[in-house]
Amino acid sequence: MRPFGALIRKHLHDTRGTLILSGAALFALGWLFVYVTSLREGKILEALASDADDGRIGIMRNMGVEEQSVSAAIMMAFWVHPFIHLIISVWAIGRGSSAVGAEVERGTLDLILSRPVSRFSYLLSHVIIAIFGLYFLALSLAAGARLGGHFNFLRVPLSSWMLLRPALNLGALGLPIYGYTLLASALDHVRWRPTMIGSTLTLAAFIARVISLIPDLQRFAWTGYLGRITIFKLYDPVDAVTGAEKLGFHIAVLAGIATTCIVLAFVGFAHRDLPANG
Amino acid sequence: MKDPALIKTSELSKTYGHFLALRQLSLEVHQGEVFGLLGPNGSGKTTTIRLLLGLIRPSSGQAAIFGFDCWRQSLEVRRLVSYLSGELRMYGSMSGLGLLRFLSDLREGDGLDRAVAIAETVMKLNLRKRVRTYSTGMKQKLALAQAFSDPVDILILDEPTAALDPSARAAVLELVGQARREGQTVVFSGHVLSEVEAVSDRVGILRQGRLMHIEDMHTRRSLRMLLIRFPGEAPGQFPPELALTVREHKKDTCLLEHRGQLGPLLRWLGSTPVEDVAIGTEDLHSLYDRFHGPDVPDEDGELS
Repeated sequence: MRPFGALIRKHLHDTRGTLILSGAALFALGWLFVYVTSLREGKILEALASDADDGRIGIMRNMGVEEQSVSAAIMMAFWVHPFIHLIISVWAIGRGSSAVGAEVERGTLDLILSRPVSRFSYLLSHVIIAIFGLYFLALSLAAGARLGGHFNFLRVPLSSWMLLRPALNLGALGLPIYGYTLLASALDHVRWRPTMIGSTLTLAAFIARVISLIPDLQRFAWTGYLGRITIFKLYDPVDAVTGAEKLGFHIAVLAGIATTCIVLAFVGFAHRDLPANG
Repeated sequence: MKDPALIKTSELSKTYGHFLALRQLSLEVHQGEVFGLLGPNGSGKTTTIRLLLGLIRPSSGQAAIFGFDCWRQSLEVRRLVSYLSGELRMYGSMSGLGLLRFLSDLREGDGLDRAVAIAETVMKLNLRKRVRTYSTGMKQKLALAQAFSDPVDILILDEPTAALDPSARAAVLELVGQARREGQTVVFSGHVLSEVEAVSDRVGILRQGRLMHIEDMHTRRSLRMLLIRFPGEAPGQFPPELALTVREHKKDTCLLEHRGQLGPLLRWLGSTPVEDVAIGTEDLHSLYDRFHGPDVPDEDGELS
């Protein structure tokens, strides 16, 4: 158990700066969204009730926000902010690509795997820290919102359980991003390629989601297909704070994609050659 | 009777695409032995070592340490082996002590005290400094301190003296000698022939992935070379009881190999009319040059 603990401690030590700074940024953002919601809630509800042809209101309607929605649902329209996606994606891609590809490229993998550490436990320590980090970030956002709720007036007060559900969904969104980046990393010997693969897939999925939400493009059938193939479709914070009808399904599908990729990464890593440094 | 073979490879080969990095290596290294691996860059030394550690999978053949298959049971193998990489990379953000502690924890915490003692007293390192502030030689010393402190039966050192100053090189050779005296088996690869010669019991010479020759260094150390100039024509034959082997024969000069008692040889020299005689030993360089000298063509017939 001691070697595994040493690996976990090392990964935590390596990532503590990123985690603390990103977590603090998301905490502040969570608070800020409560503040903005408390300022604009009335006007947003008014706009949703009217037939106003405002693009932003249209996108909110497409996300499921209605004129009867609770305050948290209105606030959730902000939880799809690109900055949140960016932090989650950067963490997932960064941890995925650093697990193997970067270590081989840097030449430090020999240092660990020439000692009695199995490849399985090495990779498992990375996976545990990556998943911990994803949920730490998502919960930081929720914690910021929860604390912000104490200091800002909302029409319908927030509850911890209400915020926990979209946070779980947000953490789960990072899982497949981490999964496919880890798979690329486990088979590679440089960092840039898994990073590029992870970034390209994530960016493509994000653009597909954005296009599928643009009201002016709703009349085209292909936007429906785009909406269905993107993993970002499975991140639905508005549903999570209201009925949570699809939350279980969304998390299961996201976790399923991630599990498949992570299992393939374990298999690939266990059977691959580890080339000499440099 | 020889000690049992701790390291055994049979017909071990490794290919990368069409490139044959190691060809049918069959080798045994025995308990308590220091085995030197010699060869230029690309000759297959590091490939052999990585196959032994289970870091790469053999294309054919087998390697085993203590009977454990080096690929399928590599975890068991790595419990018994300490390895020093030839191209050393470290985590620069850790302190020297932090890195030693981390590496020791990966081996259940064993050997930390000894590693610190070697690093501070033998290698003269300041372990409180971050590794990124260390020079290449200091990093090498830190890794050596770790390798020599691991409580294992086998040390695999890939070019351990590559970045070291002369005094540290001497310290490493002393540590290798100490490891042998304590019963550890050492596989030692390097380019500095005099170092390999000084510490090795046997030396294997690799060339283009093929093991060309294994030399027993104890036998070699008992070998004398005689260069004799005779007043006239050099004799074609010598008394058989002297066990002289003619290496070169010119008109009035002979280069001879001699193994065995010195007394009879000196008596024979005293009774034979010679113009001049020089007695010396043959270093590893001349043996190495037989396989890697500028006059030796490679497999394509090209001279190196």
